[in-house]
Amino acid sequence: MRADHYSHYHSLQEAITGFTTLCRDFDLKVGLNHSQEAMELCQYGFSKDQDTFQYALKSLYCTKEEEFESFDYCFRTFWNKKKHNYNHTLSKNKTKTNAAKHNKASLVMAGFNPKGQQPEPKEDASQVTGASKIEALKKTDFTLVSKMDSELLDEIAEQLLRQLNHKLKRKMSVSKTGPVDLRKTIRKNLSNGDALIDLIKKNRKKDKYRIILLLDVSGSMDKYSFFLLKFIWSLKSHLKNIEAFVFSTTLIRITEFIHQDQIERAMGDLSLHANNWSGGTKIGECLKSFNDQYAKRILNGKSITLVLSDGLDDGNPGLMRGELEKIKMRTSKLVWLNPLKGMKGYEPTAQGMQAALPLIDNFQSAHNLDSLLELENILTDV
Amino acid sequence: MIPKVNQLIEDFDRLGYVVEEELATVLLLTLDLNKPILLEGPPGVGKTEAAHIIASLKNTELIRLQCYEGLDASSAIYEWNYQKQLLAIKLTEHENLTTHQKEEHIFSEDFLMKRPLLKAITSDKQPVLLIDEIDRADEEFEAFLLELLSDFQISIPELGTIKAKHRPIVILTSNRTRELSDALKRRCLYHWINYPSFNKELSILQKRVPDFEQDMAVLLVRFVHYLREMKLQKSPGIAETLDWANGLLALQFKSFSEDDIEKTLGCILKSDPDINLVKKEGIQTILEEIGA
Repeated sequence: MRADHYSHYHSLQEAITGFTTLCRDFDLKVGLNHSQEAMELCQYGFSKDQDTFQYALKSLYCTKEEEFESFDYCFRTFWNKKKHNYNHTLSKNKTKTNAAKHNKASLVMAGFNPKGQQPEPKEDASQVTGASKIEALKKTDFTLVSKMDSELLDEIAEQLLRQLNHKLKRKMSVSKTGPVDLRKTIRKNLSNGDALIDLIKKNRKKDKYRIILLLDVSGSMDKYSFFLLKFIWSLKSHLKNIEAFVFSTTLIRITEFIHQDQIERAMGDLSLHANNWSGGTKIGECLKSFNDQYAKRILNGKSITLVLSDGLDDGNPGLMRGELEKIKMRTSKLVWLNPLKGMKGYEPTAQGMQAALPLIDNFQSAHNLDSLLELENILTDV
Repeated sequence: MIPKVNQLIEDFDRLGYVVEEELATVLLLTLDLNKPILLEGPPGVGKTEAAHIIASLKNTELIRLQCYEGLDASSAIYEWNYQKQLLAIKLTEHENLTTHQKEEHIFSEDFLMKRPLLKAITSDKQPVLLIDEIDRADEEFEAFLLELLSDFQISIPELGTIKAKHRPIVILTSNRTRELSDALKRRCLYHWINYPSFNKELSILQKRVPDFEQDMAVLLVRFVHYLREMKLQKSPGIAETLDWANGLLALQFKSFSEDDIEKTLGCILKSDPDINLVKKEGIQTILEEIGA
C-alpha cells in the first residue's frame, strides 16, 4: 500500500478524495457522497483545526466503534504535518499475517487437517447408490463423507434446510382465532358502506427468536467444523436473526461474514478474519469474553443459544460452568450440540462436558445431517 | 478547537449541560450539515440527553419516538381515528350528502391521529426528532425509516404526500443489541459516546446536584469509576451516579463510609450477582483503593 499524504495533492478537494480512497483501502465503508460531504464540512470551517477536523470526519466516515482505530490511523498518516514512512512497514506486516491466517483457516475449510491426521476411511456411504444413498448420506458421520459425496450432501442439506425453514415460518403465521381487529375490519368493509360483513381477527404476533451460535473450531473439532460452519451459513440465509461466533482459544464474531450470499465468499472472508482455527480449546475463557463483550447486548429473554462443541476443554471447568450459568440466566434456552454424541458408546465424561451438563436444556448430537435437522424441534418448540 | 465549537460548549454550559469537545463538534456538524446523527454507546451515558440538549439550545420542541419490537408504521406515523370515523358516518347518515362528500369528510385532518414521525414533519418550527433505541425496532421499520430520512416526506393514500415544512433535526440512538443496516448508517453521522472521564463526570455531578459536598463527590465519582473497571453485569451509568448522590443527600449521610455505601448500593448496582461481587471484593478495600 502506498503511503499517501495530503502534500501529494494540489487542492483540498483532491486531497479529500485521496483521503477517502485511503480510508476505503482500510475497509471503511465510504462512498462518493462521503467525499462530497467532507468538502461541505470544510466549507463550514471544520477544517481549520486539526482536532475538530478529525472529530468531524470521524463522525462522517465511521459507522461503528470498531472502525475508529483504522480511521485514526488513516487520519494520522494522511493529514499529519510531517510525512512519515512507518505505514509502509506496518501495512506490509498486515498483509503478511493475513496471508498466514488465510492459509491455516482455508486448509481446514478445504477439508485438510493441518495437524496431518487424515480421517481413517471406515464404513462410509460410497458403496450404496440411488435413493438409499441419499438416506444413507443423511445418516453418515461427517468425518466419513468422501469428497465426491460431499457435493451431494451439500445439495441434500440445502433442500432439507429449506424445508426446515418453511416449517419454521409456518409455525409463526397468524391464527384465525382471536379478537376482532376493528381497524382492519372497517378498512376492509369500506366498500360495503357501513355494514361490517367480513370480520378480520387479530392475534398476537409471534415473537421472533434470536439464535446465537457458538462454534468450537479447535483442533479436536477439525473434522466437523467445516460442515457445521456450512450449516450455520445455511441457517443464516434462511432465518434472519442469527448471531454467530467461532472460538478455540479466542472468540471471534463471524456474523457479518456469514451474511454473504455465496458460501464461497463467506468462507473466503471468514478465513481472512478468523485466525483461531485448529488451536487448543479454552471454552471457559471464550465464554467469558462472550459474556463480557456481547452477552449484555445480544442475549435477551427471546434468544436460543446453541453451543457446538465436543466439550474437550484444556481450560478450567469451574470457570466454564460459571460463564455458562451467566449465559443461561440471559437466554431462554441453552442447547449443546456435541458431534461426539453420535458415536456409539459415547459418555459425556470429559471434564468440560461434565461441568456443563446440569445447565443444558438440550443435549444433542451433531455428527450427521439427520441430527442437525432434529434442531427443528428445538427451534420451534420454545 | 475552532471558535464555533467553543461557543457551542459555552452555550451548553450555560444551559446546564457538560459536553466534551468531540461530542460538541459532532453536534455542530449535525446542525450545519442538517444530517441525521446516530449515537451509540453503553446504556446510561447520555445519548438521549444529547437530544434534550439540542432541543433546549434551539428552544424548540422535542418529539420522541421510542422504538420497540413490533413497532409499525401505524404507531409511528399516523393512524385514522376509526371510532370517530364510524360515529361520523352514523351521524351524517340522514344528511343529504353525496358519497364523495362523506368520504372527503371522514378522511380529513380532523380524523387523523398524528404519531411522532408525522408530527415531526408537519411541525411549524424545526423540531428535534429523537428516534430512541432504534436497534429494538424490526428491520422492516428501519427500511421504512430510510425513505423518511432521505426525502423527509410521508405519503398518506387518502390525503396525498406531505412534505416537511422544516427538516427536523434527527437524532437516533442505539444500544447496539444488533447491527443496524449499512444503508441507514450511510445516511447518518456517527458518534460513539463512552463513559465520561473523571473530570467530566465530576463536573456533571456538581452541576446537577449542587448541594452535594465537594469532597464526597470526588470519592463517589472515583468509586463509580472503580466499579466500571470491574467486570459487572451492568456497569453504572451517569444516571446512576446522579441517583446515588441524590439518594445520599436525601438520607442526609454526611460521610462516605462503608456502612452508608452498603445501605445505598441499590442506587447504582441493579443485580444481585453484581452486589455480591462488590461485597466479596470488600467495600472497605475499594475505599482504600480509591484513597478515601
